[in-house]
Parts: sequence; structure tokens; C-alpha cells
Amino acid sequence: MATQRETQQEEPLQKDVILSVRDLGVRFWVNDEWMTAAEGLTYDVRKGEVLAIVGESGSGKSQSSMSLMGLVPKNGRASGSARLDGRELIGMREDQMQKVRGNDISVIFQEPMTALNPVYTAGFQISETLRVHNVMGPREAKEEALRLLRLVEMPDPEERYDSFPHQLSGGQRQRVMIAQALACEPRLLIADEPTTALDVTVQAEILKLMRDLREKVDAGIILITHDMGVVADMADRILVMKQGRVVEEGTATQIFTDPQHEYTKQLLAAVPHLGSRSEERAFGSGAENLEYVDDLAAISLESNDTYEHPGGRIQIDNAALKLAGASIEYPAVGRKKAFRAAKAIDLQIAPGEVVGLVGESGSGKTTIGRASVGLIPVVEGSLTVGGVEIAGKTNKQLRDVRKTVGFVFQDPGSSLNPRLPVGESIGEPMYLHEGLKGPALSSRVEELLDSVELPRSMRNRYPHEFSGGQRQRIGIARALALKPRLLIADEPTSALDVSVQDRVLALFRNLQEEYGFACLFISHDLAVVEMVASRIAVMRHGHLLEVGPSADVVAAPRHPYTQRLLAAVPVPDPVEQRRRREARDALIVSGSEDLAG
Amino acid sequence: MIRFLLRRTLSTALVLLVVTFVLYLLLDYTLDYFFDLRQSTAPNIGELYEARARLLDLDTPAVVRYFQWLAGASGCLVGMCDLGTAWYLGQDVTSQLPGAIANTIKLVTAATIFAILIGIFIGLVSAIRQYSGFDYFITFLSFLMYSLPVFWVAVLLKQYGAIEFNNFLGDPVVGWGTIITLSVVSGFIWMGALGGSSRRRLYVLIGATVVTFAVVYFILATGWLNSPSLGIVGVGLTGLAAAVVLTYLSTGLENRRALWTSLTVAVVGIGLYMPLQNLFWYVEMSWVWMLLLLVVAIGVGLAVGLAFRGRDPWVSARTGALVAVVMSFFVFVDRMFQGWGDYNQHPAINGRPIATIGAQTPNLSGSFWMTNLDSFTHLLLPSIALILISIASYTRYTRGSMLEVLGQDYIRTARAKGLPERTVVMRHALRNALLPLASVVPVDIITMIGGAVITETIFGWSGMGKLFIDSMNRNELDPIMAYIVITGLLAVVANLVADFLYAVLDPRIRVNA
Amino acid sequence: MSIESRATEGLSQGAIVRRKFLGHKGAMAGLIVLAVIAVFAYSAQGVGPIPGWWIHNHTSSGPVVNPGGAPTWSFANPFAFGEHPFGQDDIGRDNFARVMKGVQISLMVMAIIGLVALVLGTVIGALAGYYRGRLDAFLMRVTDGFIILPTIVVGSILGKLVSGPNFSLFGLSSATYMAPALAVVLGAILWTSLARLVRGEFLALREREFVDSARVAGAGDFRIIVKHMLPNTMGVIIVNTTLLMSQAIVLEAALSFLGFGIRAPQVSLGQLINEYQSAFASRPWLFWWAGLFIILIALCVNFIGDGLRDAFDPRMKTVPSLRKMNRAERRAGRGGTQQKTAAQSTTTATAPRPDTDARASGPDSGDTGDEPGSTGKGASH
Repeated sequence: MATQRETQQEEPLQKDVILSVRDLGVRFWVNDEWMTAAEGLTYDVRKGEVLAIVGESGSGKSQSSMSLMGLVPKNGRASGSARLDGRELIGMREDQMQKVRGNDISVIFQEPMTALNPVYTAGFQISETLRVHNVMGPREAKEEALRLLRLVEMPDPEERYDSFPHQLSGGQRQRVMIAQALACEPRLLIADEPTTALDVTVQAEILKLMRDLREKVDAGIILITHDMGVVADMADRILVMKQGRVVEEGTATQIFTDPQHEYTKQLLAAVPHLGSRSEERAFGSGAENLEYVDDLAAISLESNDTYEHPGGRIQIDNAALKLAGASIEYPAVGRKKAFRAAKAIDLQIAPGEVVGLVGESGSGKTTIGRASVGLIPVVEGSLTVGGVEIAGKTNKQLRDVRKTVGFVFQDPGSSLNPRLPVGESIGEPMYLHEGLKGPALSSRVEELLDSVELPRSMRNRYPHEFSGGQRQRIGIARALALKPRLLIADEPTSALDVSVQDRVLALFRNLQEEYGFACLFISHDLAVVEMVASRIAVMRHGHLLEVGPSADVVAAPRHPYTQRLLAAVPVPDPVEQRRRREARDALIVSGSEDLAG
Repeated sequence: MIRFLLRRTLSTALVLLVVTFVLYLLLDYTLDYFFDLRQSTAPNIGELYEARARLLDLDTPAVVRYFQWLAGASGCLVGMCDLGTAWYLGQDVTSQLPGAIANTIKLVTAATIFAILIGIFIGLVSAIRQYSGFDYFITFLSFLMYSLPVFWVAVLLKQYGAIEFNNFLGDPVVGWGTIITLSVVSGFIWMGALGGSSRRRLYVLIGATVVTFAVVYFILATGWLNSPSLGIVGVGLTGLAAAVVLTYLSTGLENRRALWTSLTVAVVGIGLYMPLQNLFWYVEMSWVWMLLLLVVAIGVGLAVGLAFRGRDPWVSARTGALVAVVMSFFVFVDRMFQGWGDYNQHPAINGRPIATIGAQTPNLSGSFWMTNLDSFTHLLLPSIALILISIASYTRYTRGSMLEVLGQDYIRTARAKGLPERTVVMRHALRNALLPLASVVPVDIITMIGGAVITETIFGWSGMGKLFIDSMNRNELDPIMAYIVITGLLAVVANLVADFLYAVLDPRIRVNA
Repeated sequence: MSIESRATEGLSQGAIVRRKFLGHKGAMAGLIVLAVIAVFAYSAQGVGPIPGWWIHNHTSSGPVVNPGGAPTWSFANPFAFGEHPFGQDDIGRDNFARVMKGVQISLMVMAIIGLVALVLGTVIGALAGYYRGRLDAFLMRVTDGFIILPTIVVGSILGKLVSGPNFSLFGLSSATYMAPALAVVLGAILWTSLARLVRGEFLALREREFVDSARVAGAGDFRIIVKHMLPNTMGVIIVNTTLLMSQAIVLEAALSFLGFGIRAPQVSLGQLINEYQSAFASRPWLFWWAGLFIILIALCVNFIGDGLRDAFDPRMKTVPSLRKMNRAERRAGRGGTQQKTAAQSTTTATAPRPDTDARASGPDSGDTGDEPGSTGKGASH
């Protein structure tokens, strides 16, 4: 079943084992039959150890861990055995389980916005955990909660204690979550995708915090994640799961340097490596780069100026997309004031060129993409597509421009009309612009399905019948229907699993070669952008900070923010990641907390 | 926040103004001012028509008359109300209104409060027991209540709730079959509501059946219906039971100090029972007195809780105060019951206590207890009619909202923290589930005012609704306009209160706005 | 994801909705009962010039058969309906004929109200939600205006207007237009709630990427509204029109009861109750039957609405039967394992089957197979 290895000798003594799981399985009762979400899980978690459970969605990694606390949905059942300090958890009575939850085992959930109750203060929710498991008055609980908030390095703990979740930033909320999980000094901490919902720089801080806390508390940690970079950063041992089964288990070094199972190899190969395309190593991975950082104090972190690398700016007349001092505003709706999401942007894309646009949430990168097809108005400056001015045009006037631009949306689930068969969705642009109908339209749709490697027979199916990867292929097919000269790809792969992302990116590169369109590739993931783009532009808070050839930006970023961004990306290689982490920690310490989000 | 509320209020008030304008013109067109003259064969019919037109100033264009009316109505803002005249009766509208408004508000408030409390409770249980037999039963029942025409229910209530029930009180005998059926049905309802393992369900079924049987038997065997009383024993037992239940619901029985607090409060209540009876005997009571005594009771509850100290005295104090409120309520009910015999024997009542017409019995004067009993027996049926109709929507909303909330991530977090299920439901789920309800309440109050139009007509309850219908039938414009303005204002106030409540309950709004 | 989508493979959204609706017991029962009532009412009393099969009509009076006009059906041997199964009123009119006529009128009024409200609510709500801005603000104020007064009050005024002496429709006699005119007027009051819902739905849909996607593809406003947004609002529209119709029948009855709706000699269910309410003590059957049919119709419509709501709600899955689940578990415990693994079901999938690669709804959410709002206490035993 699982590829167990002879690693027993290197491991600590058996008495350190906190959790011992044997043949754990989780099943769900769906449509009158049992479906297995996970089965045959066998592993141990030791004191102070981080066990990472890695797998793509649907691999059963979350459900199997939740079953340890008896938190599977009503129609689920757990089987097998899981012993925490010798006590059997599977099948434990509900009233006893309540004493285990939060006290012996606690969880850090993925999405801190929805995982915290919106109507109670952060402090109350931490105190509540303390008071349900300990005999403690409100005042003591508050003291203790404040201590915990300080432990998780919350800025202004006294003030934050009385804040409601919506008043905190994403990173702060996750700190509250962690403080709450640590409240009763649990024996076992389950971190369920703890950083997935966070921006990369915030993720780096939370990861740093978790590493620091690891030294202070001696709980065993189960880290559930799909992100190999995070695994490389944190894990001591790794369990790789696929479709409900463990396919490989080993220490972090073993898994990363010498994976045995075919699936593990695929998974690792699919992860985009930062610096994979440049001659030099990515920024921050070597000591020489760290010194390089110090030389560059010339640009301050707060600076909103655009730094251009040599070759970063192109000057041509027939640019596929050209922004000149363009400012873009979300118009006022009702009493909501207009919001300027992109300020005085200068950027050009040559025909046939792929430019990556990178930034964290709220940086304005998507805004630029949407403005390029006239979905959001340009209020200042000019934005031209293939030489045609977009600023100030009405929907009707934009029709001809839109013929030459394709758009791939972020969420493949939402960008297809659920009530239309996909064939009709793909054909819609051709029907509207070229008046194609009947067999002519059919054959074009079939050609497009061929080119995105989907069977022709699928054209009559509805979007909900497709997987995420397939939907994104359909989205690409639709965007390419009119053979556009410019393609805007707005986070086309961020909702996909890595192995699927890998396939979609490969498809994208092939199509780009075949069709030769220019492309603005928007993403929060530097590694992905580096793979597809020849130039990279970095944005923050609506300002363009840095533009340059991909290799230069990745290897020698100039703006301190880009440096932080690069340093924050965890790479899926424990040895290199350790080096990068040190560089990153140095940056975080030197920088202020202002970007803590 | 304040600005937001002001803006909301102002815009609704403007809307109300436009509505009055449109309806004035529409009514002027609709109403037949000469309805009583149409069939007349009087020789001077032409003169009568002319006199009527002169009386109502019909030669002036309706728009002008609207502004004249508006000028008079806006006098109310400065204390010089002129809402016009009910021409058929020849009364000033301002003199018709006060009693009517008070009666309607009494009716609607009582019904709203009970409908909300009962509806939320049933919806909550239904949501927790989703897909159980109880849930299906409640779902069916609420659909049935949605479908009931209020006038039909009201007529039935009048027949069976009052006339037949009064007959029954004259000779309260119930067959064994009925008693046993009733007991078993109540057993099943409790079983469905409490749920649990099959053994627990069996116990609940048997327990509830036996208890119901015993209670019904006791009531019938002792002639309790005609001389109801709780006495010191009844008050004491209910008080102690309330202490245990309230502690369980608010803190859990593990919190010993809270349990001791509430039990102590109950015992103090029992001790005060006799002194209170003396007070009630020697001093003429009033609502001010009642309020005062309630405040004292709450004070005692809080004090006992604080006196028990412990780590968390305020939790105990809160429980103590709740128990004190419940105790006070039962003492009040007990005293009311003591007056029941006198009330029932009163010549104006004559052994038929449940009233079908009006808001109070004419020619009945008596003590504070007597008049309150009287208004209670009058309020009973129209309120039940209104509650039955609007309870269903609260049940459905609470259930839906509760199910939505129970699926949220933060509920999973709360469970993962190790909170007992009671805390998860009462503190984390219910609080969030009640938020959307705040926007349902004003809509429902308006519906209830609409329902009151019918109930008031059927039960002869001289409130706003009856005034509206009567004036419609008499083709009197001014009272109808007064009705529209006052109902509209009530709606504005209800919306304002709802917005305010929402803001208090939801920190996301409170802080941002 | 793979587990849930198995049940809906190869079906369009419409087919899924149809299947879920047909599987809803309450809705199907409601639909059947309502159909039976409608067929019965229209065939018994006939439509327009076509006569019905029932021997009496709603206006003719005959000799009073039983004392007081009590119902003539008997369960004694032999079972017989008799001449007046629902009884007669004081002047010998057949109550069955009157109730059936009343059902006809009430159903017609309900249908017209539904239609008027549907059209007004959808068009106005869609325009306001799509164009926002001033139009939207104006619409919201108008609905506010309708909302601050109880519908029964506005309904009474308009009902009085329609049936009053000052109102005429092309000089027709009031008997011909009264019911439809009343229905149209009431529909014009009840559209506001639907408009608000449609507006809300449109506001939400506007933010969906497929609307932007259609615009980028070159679609104009009209096409976006009709082809892309309306089909995605159908659920809300159909469900709420249905629920509105159940309100409508009760409202019509209430108005007729108060005397501001259908008036004698016209009949409707509410009007019958109004006419006979004082006879309740002496001739209760006159009161019971009309009321019963109002409740029955409203109940059926409510159940149909509930079924539609469940069918259109993408989050609603079939109710997992815990009893079946436990039974299957016991069977599995005895060794008769027939469980399928998610792994098998996906690896053996043929090409077009969705694979498990989407993280769209968050990692690992795909494999729960959980129905929304499950109150699972995490019973793991």
C-alpha cells in the first residue's frame, strides 16, 4: 500500500510518539452508497515534529485529519484507530471528545475570515477557548489571552483584543486563529492549509511565526497543505496522499531529493520553481545576493516610483497594449465612493510578447487587465489596444476593439454561463462578431476544442459537468475564438491544483507559439509568471514598482518590495528554502510591520 | 450610524408623503360620497346632493383639498392637530383616534412579541433536528399556517375558542379517550423535539405522556379551570424548575455557583410569597407598582449572584436575575388566578369569561387585577388569530437562517475549540442566525397591522383597523387618511427600530457606519 | 467533486431541476391535488358557454332537501352523494355548485395576479438591477411606498375603486370585468417583492465573471440580460411567483370577505365566507367548504413553491437517509462490503468524466459529499 521506508533508526524513541494512527479510514454516505474519502492511513506524530500531509484536492487529507477530532459531517464515518497518548480517539464518546478538542488537539483553519465568528471580538474568542477547558475567571482569561496575542506577535495586543474579526487584516486574523489554537497548550496541532488564503508576504510571516512557535511549544504538528513550498519550509516528515491513500512517506529530505513513487515525482516536477528560467539563481538564495540587498538601500520600501531594468521598457509604435499614464477607477456606486485602483501606469506590450503582471491582493493588477477590455473606465491618461484608444469609449464603440482581445478569467467556475452548453459559450464571440451560424460555427468550435485538447463530443455538455482544469481550457478556447492579437489572462491557474496548473501552462505556451498573440499574464505567483513571461511588471497598491526582463527581475530585483516578494516565495527544496528563509527573515526583521497586512 | 438612521428615516418619511398624496387622489376618486343618497326617494334630493357637495367642499379640486388636509395634518407637529372630520358621523378624526391607536398597538405588540418568541424557538428546534419527523411536522404545520386565511381562523376561534369553550367551562368534562390521545400526542411531540438515541427517545415519549396525562387529570379532577391557582407550592415548584432549566441553558449545570445562585433566588422568591400576598391585599396595585417590584426582583437576583462571588460572578448574577424575572411572573400569574373566581362570578361576565367582542367588558369596574384579567380575556382570541398567522414566517426564517449559519466555518471552529453543543448553538449559531431576522420583523409587523384590519373587524376590537374598514364603508376620506398616515408612521418606526437593532447586533455595521 | 457530480452527469441544469422537483414528494402531492381541484371545478361548472356535468349551477335555487339545507351525502348503506353533497343555503342554492364556481374564480384571479406580478416584477427588477443608478433608486423608493402600507389596505382601496360606481371599463357591465380587473389591480400591488428579489439577483449576477465574459465576447445589453442573466434568475423568479400566488389567493379571499373584492352576485371563495359567516352557527357547512378549498389551494401552491425552491437551489442535495446509512454500515460491518472508493470511481472513469483537479471551492472541500447546512455534530461512531 504505502511505500514505507527504513527510517525507524533515525527517528526519536517511540515514547515520544504523541499520536499514533493505524489504518484510519473515512467514508461518506452519498447517493445511497459509501464513498471512501480516505483509507488505510497509518502514521505517527512525535513531540515537536511537523508531519506534513501533502496532496491535491480530493485526496482526503483534510477529512482524515478532522476525523481525529470527531469532526466529520453527519454523513461521514471514521474507522480504524487513532491513539493520542494512548487514548483511542475514533469512536470516543461525544462528551469526552469535547474535552479533547481545543484542549489536547486544536486546529488552525484555512480561511481566518470565515473561521472566526464575526460578531464576537478576537479576545472573546480566545478567552472562550481558555475558559471552556480551564477553571478561569474572565480577568485571568483576558490576561492569558493577551499573553497569547503577544506570543503570536500581534501588534497592539490590548487594542486587538477588543477588535472584531472584520477589523483585522488577513495576517492578524490568522494570528488570532493560532493564538486560539495554542491557548490550552495542545498536544497536537492540526494546521489545515494555514497560509493558503494569505498573500505571499503575509504567508512568509505566518510561516516564520509558526517555525518560531515550534521551538516554544512541544506539540506535534500535522500540516495539511497542497503547497510544496510550504512543505519544504516547515516539514520534518512528509506523507503524500493521492485519492484517499498514502502513496509515499519519508523525511522531508528523502521526499524532495529522492522521491520513489511516480505520483510524488510528478507532483514535484509540476511545481514551478522560482528562477527556473534564469541563468542565475533566484534572488535571496545565496549569500552574495544578501549582500546585494544591502547595497540597494537607495530605494525606500515605501517608494511608489517605477524602477525600470535595462530592457524593461520598450518603445514601439504598434504596441499590442499600451498604457501611458493611465489611471483606472472603479466608478462610484450609490454611496460608495469611486476607488482608484491603478494610478498613472506606464506599460507596453509588443506584438507576440508575454508580459507578466505580478502583485498581491489589492495591488490593482486585475484592474489593469479588466480596463484593457473596457470593463472598467480609464479616467486619466491613455490606454490603447492595437493602436485604438479605449479611454472614454462606450460599450458600443468598444465592440470592434473587443474583437481583437481575448480574456481568460480567473475563476473557471464563474466565467462560463451555467445555463449554456459550453459549445455555445465558445461559439458566442464568433456568432456575435462574425455572424457565424450552423455548420460553419460548429466546425470552428470543434477546431477550438481540438486545440485546447478537449474531445469534440463535450461541446454539448454544461459547465458544471467539467473539472476546474477542463473549464479553464474551455475559457481559453473561448478567448481564442476570434484569433485575438492580445490575450489578457487574469490569474488563469490560481484556482487549480499544481499538476493541473502544469498542464494548463504547457497548453498555454503551445497555443501562444501557435497563435502568436501578445499576452498580459496576471498572477500573484512569481514562479508561474516567470515560466511564461519574457518581461515581468510588479505592482503594489495601484502603483507599478518595477518592470524588467523576467530573468533580471527574478535574479536581481531592485525595488525592496520586489525583493520581499521574491524572498517570501517558498521554493520546493528544503535545502535551498532554508537559505532563502534566512535571507527572508533578515528582510522581515529589517523591514517594518507595515506590510504585515 | 446616527446619520445613517436619520437618512433612512427621512427618505421613508418622504416616501410616506408621496404615498399620502397618491392615495388621497385615488380615494377621492374611489369613495362614493353620496352612497346614502343613491337609493333615496326624498323630494329634495337635489338639495341634499348640493348640501353634501358643499359640506365636503367637492367643488375645490382634489389636489387643493389634499394640501389643505396636509396643512391641517402637519399641525400635529406643533400640537395643533387637524386631521379633518368623519363627515358621516360628524366627529373630529382627532377625537376618534387615541383609543383606536392604543387598542391596535396593544393587540399588535402582544401578538408580535409572542409570535417572535414562539416562532424563533420552534424554528431553532426544527433546524437542530433537521430532516427528523419533528422537522417535517413543523414544516407542514408552518405551510398550513401560511395558507390559513386569517378571517376564517378568526371566525372559527370565535365559535370554538369562545362560545364552545365557555359552554365547556360551565361543565368541564372530557372523555378518557380524548385525554389519552392528547397525552400520547404531546409525548410524541416532545420526543421529536428532544431527539437523541432510541432509548432516550423512548424515555422522553413515556415521560412526556405520563406527565401530560397527570397534568390534564389534575386540572380536570380539581376543577382547576374554574378556580385556577398556583399557590405557594405551585409557584415554588415552577420557580425551582425554572432555576434548573435556566442555569442549564445559560451556563450549563457544571457551573455550580450559577446553579446555587438560581436555586437561592428561587428559595428567596418562595420566602417572599406570603409577604407579597399581604402587600397585594393592603395596597391597591398598579403597573407602576408591578414595574417597581420587578426591578426589586431583578436587583435581588443580581445581588445573590454577586454574593456567590466565584471566578465569574456576572454570569451567576445574570442567571439569578433571569430566575427572579420568571419567579415574579409566576407570582403575578398566581395573583391573577386568585381574582379569577370573582371575575368569573361577576354579573357582567356571568360565567362566560372568554370574550368575543370588544376590548373590555362594559360596566365592569374592579381592582387592578380584575381589569387586567378582563383585558386579558379580551386580548386572548384576536391575539391568537394574529399569532397563528405570523408565527409561521418566523419559524421558517429562523430555521433557514439557522441552517445556513450552522454550515459556516466558524461553527466548525467553535466545535473544534471543544465548546459544548449547547454553547455552539446558543452563543455562536443563534446570535448570527438572528441577524437577518431583524429585517424581517418590520415587514412582519406591517403584515400584522394588515391582519389586524380583519381580526379587529371580526372581534369588534375598536382599533385602527376597524376604524379603517368602517370609514371605508361610510366613504369618509379623512379617517382613512389618518389611518394611512399613522400606519405609515408605525412602519417607519418599525423600520427604524429594526435598523437600530441590526446595528446593535452586528458589529460589522455598528463600527463601520 | 467527483462524488457529487456522478449523480448529475450528462444532464443540463434544466434536467437536474426537473429531476429534483419530480423527486420532491410534497411538491408532487401539491401538484396532483391542485390539478384535481382545477379539473373538478372547471368541469363541474363548465367554462363560459360550455356547460359542466354538475346538475346545479351557482345561482339557481331549488327546494331545500334536508332540514336547514344540510349536506345530503350519507355513508350509510348505500353510500350516496345525494343531490346536494355540500349542502344548501337558506334560499336553497347548491353549495357544491357555488364552491366550485368560487374555486374557478379564485384560481383565475390567482393566475392573473401571478402573471401580472411576474411580468412587472421581472422586467422592472431586471432593469433596475442591470442599469443601477437613478432607475434603481427610483424603483427602490416605489417599492418602499408599497411596503409601508399593508397590502390588504392598499388592496381594499383599489378593490373598492374597481367595484365602485365611479369606475367603468369601456362601459362593460361590472360582472364581466370585476374578477379580472381586481386580479390585475392586485397583481400591480404584489409585484414589488419579486422586483426586489430579481434586482438583488441581477446585482449579484453582474459581478459574476460570465457576464463580463459575455461582454468581452461582444454581447450587447439586451443579449446579456435575456440570454445570460435571465436564465440564471429563473429559479428565483419561478419560486417566488409561486409563493406570491399562494399569498394572492388568501389576499383575494380576505378582500372579498371584507366586501372590497368580488361581490355578490359574483362568487369567489372569500365572498362565500363573507356571505355565510353569520350563518356559521346554524349552517356550518356553508362556511367550512369554502374555507377548506382556500386552504387546500394555498397549501398545494406553497408545497409546489417549496419543491421548486429545493429543486433550483444548487446547494440542496438529496436528503441522506441516516437510517439507510446505518443499515448499510451494519451490512458492511458483516463483511458484505460493496463500497466504492472515490479512487476507483475516478481512476476507472472514462475520458469525459470530471477529474478531481479543481480546487475552485477550496482544498479538500470536494470530497466531503456533505449536504449544506448539515448540523453534523461530528458523530464518528
